[in-house]
Amino acid sequence: MREALLSAQGVTVHFGGLVAVDGVDLEVHAGEMVGVIGPNGAGKTTFFHTLSGVLVPTAGRIAVAGDDLTGKSAHIYAAHGVARTFQTPRVFKEMSAVDNVRFGLEFAGRTRQHAHDAFDDPFAILDFLGLAAVASVPAGGLTPSRQRLLEIGMALGARPRVLLLDEVASGLTHAEVEKTAQLIRRVRDELGLAVIWIEHAVRVLMSYVERVAVLHQGAKIADGDPRSVARDPAVVEAYLGEEGDTQRMAA
Amino acid sequence: MTLRDSMLATLLTALALTAMPWLVSDFALALTLTCLMYAGLAVSWAMFCGATNYLSLATAAFFGMGAYVTAWGAEGLPYGVAVLIGGLVAAAIAGLVGAAVLHLRGAYFAVITFGLGELVRHAITYYEKAYAGTVGRVISEPPDSVTIYHTVLLLAALAVITALAVRSSRLGLALRGIGSDEERARTLGVNTRRAKIAAFSLSAFFAGALGAAMAMRWTYIDPLTVFNPFIGFQTVLIAMVGGAQTIIGPVASAVLFSLLTEFLRLQFPYLFLILLGLLLILLVLYLPGGLASLLVRWRWRKSGA
Repeated sequence: MREALLSAQGVTVHFGGLVAVDGVDLEVHAGEMVGVIGPNGAGKTTFFHTLSGVLVPTAGRIAVAGDDLTGKSAHIYAAHGVARTFQTPRVFKEMSAVDNVRFGLEFAGRTRQHAHDAFDDPFAILDFLGLAAVASVPAGGLTPSRQRLLEIGMALGARPRVLLLDEVASGLTHAEVEKTAQLIRRVRDELGLAVIWIEHAVRVLMSYVERVAVLHQGAKIADGDPRSVARDPAVVEAYLGEEGDTQRMAA
Repeated sequence: MTLRDSMLATLLTALALTAMPWLVSDFALALTLTCLMYAGLAVSWAMFCGATNYLSLATAAFFGMGAYVTAWGAEGLPYGVAVLIGGLVAAAIAGLVGAAVLHLRGAYFAVITFGLGELVRHAITYYEKAYAGTVGRVISEPPDSVTIYHTVLLLAALAVITALAVRSSRLGLALRGIGSDEERARTLGVNTRRAKIAAFSLSAFFAGALGAAMAMRWTYIDPLTVFNPFIGFQTVLIAMVGGAQTIIGPVASAVLFSLLTEFLRLQFPYLFLILLGLLLILLVLYLPGGLASLLVRWRWRKSGA
């Protein structure tokens, strides 16, 4: 079997007495698009923090392309090709949109080549995301949904091999979600990225990913293709009372 | 202004400043020297602090270290070498201290950098009293005032050139990223620790070298004069009033401050600190972006008209 591009083993995070992430294993290969879902407070974002080096897990091991990066700083993860977005956009507000994209190209993306040349130019990335018109506008002046897209652009600038998307679809209209999802799929296909996508809105995610992992109270309770995961009794149980999402999932 | 115009203006300014010792009175030259010293200090302070939003009060510490390198080495070291070593010592210590405390931010960092000045000042006072049997030091054969003036002019010019180079470099981009959102910068591949230490140390070099150069001018130095916290505060104020995100702002504000301080001191010897304080409060209240924001507004209006 091929070696996983990103591999998390037994990742655990304690905040004081609270167990936010509880022994999660996850392996993702190049070209794979994996969704991570779970009710509010399931530990999805905390898990992402560990995968990007923002947070050092209390226990467990994280490897990227075979290199053990556990305990390393976030810039080492970035240098290994892990790029991420944040749930609340964290763009460099005072910098222009194009400088925000250029940032990743100048640092994490400096030593790597993309399979596709189109992404070597920050303007091309903005164009791809439909942000070409606002290239010179300070990022803080963009609408929240454009900042969300710009977050993806910043991550693409880092020439990633693994792309971590944290609720990029939240707050977008249905049409915008559709467009963003197609963008992500296109990037994945053109660059052969491994994509891990967290979304609270389960239905959106299920239609775009080939595999989905479910977190509940910090632990992984299911991992597989969307259809079978949606029928998994443990998942149904976890989502009971959660806005009837499971009925829609199964439907 | 076209590129040619601004190059011409820069060249003329450089010429005028270089020829200053032969053109103006001793008083005016002394005043120009103060302007240049604060311009160099404020620009190099803003190089690190302006971009990263760090508040360092360590300028006095680095300045004093440089001054003491000159004082201790006065007999053996040629002037130029003493200035260089003064800068290097300050940069090295900034690197060490930076490695230990640059993970702190805000008030913590400000207080620690302030404490650094006090620590070094007391350590030197103790050392001088206990082992050298003296409080201050007299520099017996200082170079002539024209040489000192030209050294300080050169250092101030180098500070401006370095600040320009840093701003357009990857280091400058990294520093702006750190100032905006440090963790985000890390997730995009910046080794923020290394970038901060490098920039902090680079900015300390100029404070140290300027201290070493100015010590010769004063001919008598003691810890209280060269580690005077006022030097640190004044530098921060000048840079902030000028606009710490810019380079022209601190320079303009250094000139304005030095002239204003001198004017107020001559006209209102008892009131001058009160007036200076009042002016500062007004500036901070009504011009938070600094003097440089006036320039931006003016340009904007001109292009809009």
